[in-house]
Amino acid sequence: MLSLQGVHKRFGDLEVLRGVDLDVARGEVVCILGPSGSGKSTLLRCVNLLEPPEEGAIFLEGQDICKGPGSGTGEQSWNLDFVRQRVGMVFQQFNLFPHKSVLENVTMAPRRVLGKSREEADGKAKALLERVGLGDKLSQYPERLSGGQQQRVAIARALAMDPHVMLFDEVTSALDPELVKEVLDVLRELASEGMTMLVVTHELGFAREVGDKVVFMDGGVIVEEGRPADVLDSPQQERTKKFLGLVLER
Amino acid sequence: MNEFFNQFFDFTVMGDHFDEVLDGFFRNLLVFALAGALALAWGLVLALLRQLPSKKFLPVRGITIAYIDVFRAIPILGVILLISGSIPYLEFIPKDIRIPHWFGQPDPYWYGVLALTLVYGAYMAEVYRAGIEAIPRGQIEAARSLGMSHGQAMRHVVVPQAVTKIPAPMLNELISLLKDTTLVGVIALGEALLIAREVQAETFNASAYVLGCAMFLVVCLPAARLVDYLIKRNQTKVARGSHIAV
Amino acid sequence: MSKTRLTALFAVLLVGVVSVAIAGCGSDDDSTSSGAETSASTEGGGGGGGEPLSVGSDIPYPPFEQGKAGEYTGFDIELMEAIGEKIGRTPEFTDTSFETIFRDVAQGKFEAVISAATITEEREKTVAFSDPYYLSEQAILVQEGSDIKGLADLAGKTVAAQQGTTGLELGKEKANAGDLRAFPEGPDAVNALKSGTVEAVIIDAPVAQNAVEETGGVEIAEKVPTEEEYGIALAKDNTELLEEINQGLQEVIEDGTYTTIYEKWFNLEPPKEIVG
Repeated sequence: MLSLQGVHKRFGDLEVLRGVDLDVARGEVVCILGPSGSGKSTLLRCVNLLEPPEEGAIFLEGQDICKGPGSGTGEQSWNLDFVRQRVGMVFQQFNLFPHKSVLENVTMAPRRVLGKSREEADGKAKALLERVGLGDKLSQYPERLSGGQQQRVAIARALAMDPHVMLFDEVTSALDPELVKEVLDVLRELASEGMTMLVVTHELGFAREVGDKVVFMDGGVIVEEGRPADVLDSPQQERTKKFLGLVLER
Repeated sequence: MNEFFNQFFDFTVMGDHFDEVLDGFFRNLLVFALAGALALAWGLVLALLRQLPSKKFLPVRGITIAYIDVFRAIPILGVILLISGSIPYLEFIPKDIRIPHWFGQPDPYWYGVLALTLVYGAYMAEVYRAGIEAIPRGQIEAARSLGMSHGQAMRHVVVPQAVTKIPAPMLNELISLLKDTTLVGVIALGEALLIAREVQAETFNASAYVLGCAMFLVVCLPAARLVDYLIKRNQTKVARGSHIAV
Repeated sequence: MSKTRLTALFAVLLVGVVSVAIAGCGSDDDSTSSGAETSASTEGGGGGGGEPLSVGSDIPYPPFEQGKAGEYTGFDIELMEAIGEKIGRTPEFTDTSFETIFRDVAQGKFEAVISAATITEEREKTVAFSDPYYLSEQAILVQEGSDIKGLADLAGKTVAAQQGTTGLELGKEKANAGDLRAFPEGPDAVNALKSGTVEAVIIDAPVAQNAVEETGGVEIAEKVPTEEEYGIALAKDNTELLEEINQGLQEVIEDGTYTTIYEKWFNLEPPKEIVG
């Protein structure tokens, strides 16, 4: 489904990704752990071309998305449309549109990008919002919702575009602890329905339960990867051990 | 002291010439109305051009930035004189366009509107820019992740939010513009202060100036207070905080 | 920054700017206080030595006054210098705007004003005038080849004149113009004619003539005899200086200097009414 090969990403002089290789099968849930600065967010943002890599290839459903129509430099060389209509992303800071209602947040992209009619878009949006437990908040504005509620809207918003892959960038890190569960529950459900997911997270419990594969990143490379039980309970690498030690001590 | 009052506050002179000066003031308002609307639109265009992403649009961004720099740095009076002193001579433009008498307004009106639009467009572009840059990057990222193009992201997500942040500084620019419409008197548009100068030349008394200025005061002072109020209200809004209501 | 500090900073800047401006204005070129206190500066013309005489004039207005500061020249300028020589004063000219010129001399900003200024009853309420030193009339200046042939043809047209002048008065009374535009500066009115934004200019005949000769592209459609006389304006209570100037003018006329200056600038013999 998704295959990263030799991905490098630089910001000015700083090399944030130093050669990452990763394969994700359809329906797989991959949890990415690591200290801050390890490049895990950047990795996610490469996959949906928010930050395209300097070197390397990313294959999405067989196509190298780093080379697109009119290959040259800049945005025309990337296959933006192809990517963004198949890959959805949910952010740590939710990034809901504050000037639009909950319903409008979810219907905006389907209507503007996919050209769906208002009825079609509304219908789908309502269904999705019901699914995440917010069917009664359709006409509310984001500022009136709790963090957990906002994040669930953000998930519904991404799902409205019928993505094949969902990227989650530390989506619970900005939430108060008691709100984390409701969001993780949505992720859990999505996973059980067979969505292909890349989840950058600190929630080890979730990684163990829901993840099919756990990846530990540090210093711009993948240090260790494997089944959750293996990586989390018996890490092989020093750095992995160290990191897990620190996290578990909390 | 008495002399002072006679010179500046001769109510007979003011009374006799009130209508003339008021007439002139309406001309200022007319210039303001059109130039203001055009500058608001032109400023937005400039701000958006300046925003275009990616290497391919570098020349566009460059030219836009140069335009904004230049027109913020030349005195408005200079621009008015340049326009009125050059356009009429460009013979390749048909006479009806280079010496416009459209909608009953004479050519100094149109030259003045053009000059003010060109200059204030630049200032307003910077106000828009500040508004746009105040919108968190995450908004654009979310929009683009959902598949919207840069243009769509601007149009539906960024600009609608940006315009709610700019009323106070924009209003400041507009107040400035209203006062600067007096500069068009240099090319003999019968605006309030030019008329006041004529009255002065006839009566040897400066009260007409006071009258003219008073008319501006009546409009601009409440507007300036409104700006203060808007700024204050915005500050309390930010202080109270808006996002997450847990 | 706290509000009081901001205010203080602003006040300091304001004071700084104002002081610099005052310091700048105190030097040579600009207007000086009346008479006695001023030090002699370089731009007193070829006058008769002695105390400087502050004179205001709306420059440029060729051929009466024109040129750069320190090198002003023109009929009015040279005449004033000649008079100055007779009365033992050195004129120092300051460029000022015409629309305030009478008020300025009445309030003592200058001791005298020579600026192609017509003697009118209105103006005599505010200032005193010397004996007439020039006979003038108005002219209608148009673009070469224009079909405006005279005052009557101005009806409905776009006409320009200078603010505060008798030309503008004439325009208001007689021209029936569609759009009568008052320009703060005379030469700008002529420029507007040349650019085509106005169709005619009503302006002093000699100035119009000068425009025809020097700039070209324009012609005089009609001269409108208004029997105007120019005078030197002074504050009303300055009777002593008025007498001196009248006396000086008389002497300049009698010894032929007037004629020389006149012929130099107008290529014509001076009229009998003035020289006798």
